[in-house]
Amino acid sequence: MINGLGEKLLFFDGGMGTLLQARGLQVGEIPETWNILHPEKIKQIHKEYLLAGCDIVKANTFGVNSFKCKGTDYSVDMLVSAGIRLVKEAISEVRAEEKITERNAATEENAMAIENAADGTGKVRQRYTALDIGSLGKLLKPLGEIEFSAAYEAFKEIVISGDKAGADLILLETLSDSYEIKAAVLAAKENSSLPVIVTMIFDENGKLLTGGDVASVTAMLEGLGVDAIGFNCGLGPEQMKRLLPELTACCSLPIVINPNAGLPAVVNGNTIYNVAPPEFAQSVKTLVEMGASVVGGCCGTTPAHIKALTEACKNMTIKPITDKNMTVVSSYNHAVYFSEKPLIIGERINPTGKSKFKQALRDHDMEHIYKEGLLQEEKGAHILDVNVGLPEIDEPKLMEEAVTGIQAIIDLPLQIDTSDTEAMERGLRCYNGKPMLNSVNGKRESMESVFPIAKKYGAVVVCLCLDEGGIPETADGRIAIAKKIVKTAAKYGIPKKNLVMDALVLTISTGQDNAKVTLETLRRLRYELGIHTVLGVSNISFGLPERSRINTAFFTMAMNNGLSAGIVNPSSEPMMAAYYSFNALAGLDEQCMEYIAKCSQQPEKPKGANGALANADAKSAMSLEDAIVKGLTESAYQATTALLEQNIDSLTIINDKLIPALDIVGKGFEEKRMFLPQLLMSADAAKASFEAIKSTLSKQGRQSESKAKIVIATVKGDIHDIGKNIVKTLLENYGFDMLDLGKDVAPETILAAVKENNVKLAGLSALMTTTVVNMEETIKLLHEKAPECKIMVGGAVLTQEYADMIGADFYSKDAMGSVRYANELYEAGEI
Amino acid sequence: MSLGAVAVGKAVNMREIYRYMGYQGNVPDADVRALTDEVLGELLQAIEPKSIYKRFECAAEDGIVRLYDMEGKSLSITASSRNLADNLADCRQAVVMAATLGIGADKLLGRYELVNMAKASIAQACGAECIEAYCNLIQEEIKSNWADKEGLYLRPRFSAGYGDLALETQKDIFSALECTKRIGLTLTQSLLMYPTKSVTAFIGLTADAGGCYSKSGGKCAACGNKGCEFRND
Repeated sequence: MINGLGEKLLFFDGGMGTLLQARGLQVGEIPETWNILHPEKIKQIHKEYLLAGCDIVKANTFGVNSFKCKGTDYSVDMLVSAGIRLVKEAISEVRAEEKITERNAATEENAMAIENAADGTGKVRQRYTALDIGSLGKLLKPLGEIEFSAAYEAFKEIVISGDKAGADLILLETLSDSYEIKAAVLAAKENSSLPVIVTMIFDENGKLLTGGDVASVTAMLEGLGVDAIGFNCGLGPEQMKRLLPELTACCSLPIVINPNAGLPAVVNGNTIYNVAPPEFAQSVKTLVEMGASVVGGCCGTTPAHIKALTEACKNMTIKPITDKNMTVVSSYNHAVYFSEKPLIIGERINPTGKSKFKQALRDHDMEHIYKEGLLQEEKGAHILDVNVGLPEIDEPKLMEEAVTGIQAIIDLPLQIDTSDTEAMERGLRCYNGKPMLNSVNGKRESMESVFPIAKKYGAVVVCLCLDEGGIPETADGRIAIAKKIVKTAAKYGIPKKNLVMDALVLTISTGQDNAKVTLETLRRLRYELGIHTVLGVSNISFGLPERSRINTAFFTMAMNNGLSAGIVNPSSEPMMAAYYSFNALAGLDEQCMEYIAKCSQQPEKPKGANGALANADAKSAMSLEDAIVKGLTESAYQATTALLEQNIDSLTIINDKLIPALDIVGKGFEEKRMFLPQLLMSADAAKASFEAIKSTLSKQGRQSESKAKIVIATVKGDIHDIGKNIVKTLLENYGFDMLDLGKDVAPETILAAVKENNVKLAGLSALMTTTVVNMEETIKLLHEKAPECKIMVGGAVLTQEYADMIGADFYSKDAMGSVRYANELYEAGEI
Repeated sequence: MSLGAVAVGKAVNMREIYRYMGYQGNVPDADVRALTDEVLGELLQAIEPKSIYKRFECAAEDGIVRLYDMEGKSLSITASSRNLADNLADCRQAVVMAATLGIGADKLLGRYELVNMAKASIAQACGAECIEAYCNLIQEEIKSNWADKEGLYLRPRFSAGYGDLALETQKDIFSALECTKRIGLTLTQSLLMYPTKSVTAFIGLTADAGGCYSKSGGKCAACGNKGCEFRND
């Protein structure tokens, strides 16, 4: 632990990079190699900072990681342990010098900080060695290159080395991606027991480079149990002054601020930081007055800056740190607070009672899940519930995949909804933010298994007011269970603010007081226990006709009785109308702005893929062929539905109408009369037509048939995949079953997919000359190990000659070419 | 919308977007034009353009380009490339720049690819033009901030991957400009960039006005792929 953290003002040291450059570090040289090549120079810098009055010294380990060490003569462990050792030596040498000058070296006591801390009596100033960890310089999947687990492993290696070498704390700094931060914090906490401080680089608008804001990462980090949070780098102290109030408003932990010596200025082509020490000290002093409790410097700051700072702030006390006591969840880019104004939790990502969703889970149709999410976001949900549990599927694996996929495209916080503790843990672990968890209940077994996981990942937990005795019939009974849950959670270190109580809804068709009991429970939970509440609202009408009438009335009553968040279907217009009306009536909608805005949104007219409104009359008259040629998705869907209602067979629709229409567009495209966007608008319309067919077939308990399975991938090293995705869309239109392996796919992975599925045609894409090499390698491997599989290739840099040279069976110059080739092979019976 | 996005929005050339969409010299029909406007609007909402550039002393001879720190005179970037050396011939100084639209563009593309492939293809084209337009703005800034005052002209931008300039050069550029820390650019093992709508480039500064940057582009001249559908000479 760090004595005095959050109680008195502590000082970090300042910048390292500029000082090293002044001592001869070349651009391109790894600064941390100097821990071994020029240890005296590094130690000297540490000593200068110690003499300037700092309490915490950052080891010269900021840029060390396995990615950077690859191909050098140094290992992570060598550089980290040398870096830690140099700080510790600097501390003891400075201490020794101090002892001489103080003439009080009466005992043989070890001057090292940590021993002094142990006896608690030493008046000797305690100094700490920080294992300094920066960004890996890689973006995480699914938007970037490396897996979350790979980032975790890379950080873990650094943490283990630093801990072993005797670091006193771990500083994660200059980070700007909340997902990378989460991987680093988990690595730090799971592989050491050292205090963890996280400082991040925000831009002047208060955003991380990956879009997170101050409130969202603070929520996540407090949940993960770090010891202090703050800002470093990027900005100077003046700019941080504007940003600090955002942090003090939401942060219940000590705040650390290590600014640059001003904003970087480019003078004559060189980057310089030009805030001088006295000016820097005065600005940072203001930051302390505003609520910072640990301060130091980053780029451009020197021992002179730190000396000026420690002197200017010498006798200052810090502002007391208070618990903000807010119930909050967050996504990668924003926080959502539970407050007087109720929230909408979208319930649609859940297979219960939805045969289509169940089928999608069985078919591993992730697109279906993501679209449900996008729709709910559009309809005004604040949080999305994610439940992918079916008895016959691997729920933990699917939960991880769903959470990872949803958070890549949707900005809302997620509620991990499962009773499988492994699925819970995997969902929470890969979640980029402070999650919600659904659910725990008052049973001992439930609390024992869920609370440790919830605590570890900082989840806000939905607690059901039931226990071994079932659901109490009275509000008293439910309140008693709620109290028990709150008490037990506290034992696990989970504060009340991280619990949200589900008062439970039983249908009024089986008990006429059921709604009354729920409402009373809600009221008492919220206003007597002071805890936020949640309900699965629509259960109230189970077994009754015209359910939405009861649901909306009950929803309004519940909100009026203290409901903090309703788990509802945001696509239900009556429910959302009740929601916005309640807010307006309860004085929660300033000048009824939100209500008016919602009312002024016209009910959506059918839209074509081109965004233009389809004329209602023309639409009903429009044939499927016309709808597809014109690229009108809604019309295509309706025309198909109309044909199906006339009992026309789905195969006839596809072969006689859909495909010929696609052919018209395809031909136009090949003859350059039509262009890519039009081709894709038609493809999207055809897709809508297939949706209509699929939904009719699934109602009849049938599945659509496909021609043949085709594997498609962007080759290893290449990250461009729109071309591949276009090809995939068109081939799907023509009835092929596409197994899309994504981008940056290793040759072995492609081979395995081909073998496993007994696939006879693979499509490979590459955009760069540098990655065509990997395409060639993949072709060789496939031809050798799966000779029956034909390979078609495409991508900007390829030509027929090039494709021949690397041994491809077919070169497709555009997306239609691949359709023609696949059809030829299919008709010839080769695939 | 971020300030950078507003500036980029003003600078984009719709005809270039249509060209990236595969329309060659043609203008799309009204529906596609409307859809393009819609997508461009959404893209501009999603992007956070960020950039960094730095000036170096430049020595280009015998197919080797060396860039030195302006102060310390220490060697920062070395590239073995005839094409780049030709591009920087007679340039005693060069600027190295890095620019990105940020991760928001990639996120939006991912969304479109799920629900609307036509929009995805258009967003791809809009993104390509936005980053180009953004680079042009940066180039204009360099021109008016230093170059004009010092009587220097700007050569066309030249990026790793053009001609014989290896992607390996990206490593030097990333470390010399601190791209990851300063603007959030990352480099994959195969030396490609995330976020994907990003550019790094060399810009020669020379007293000789010949063969120099003009707003109309001309960057295709350096490329050997004469058959390219998107060639713009």
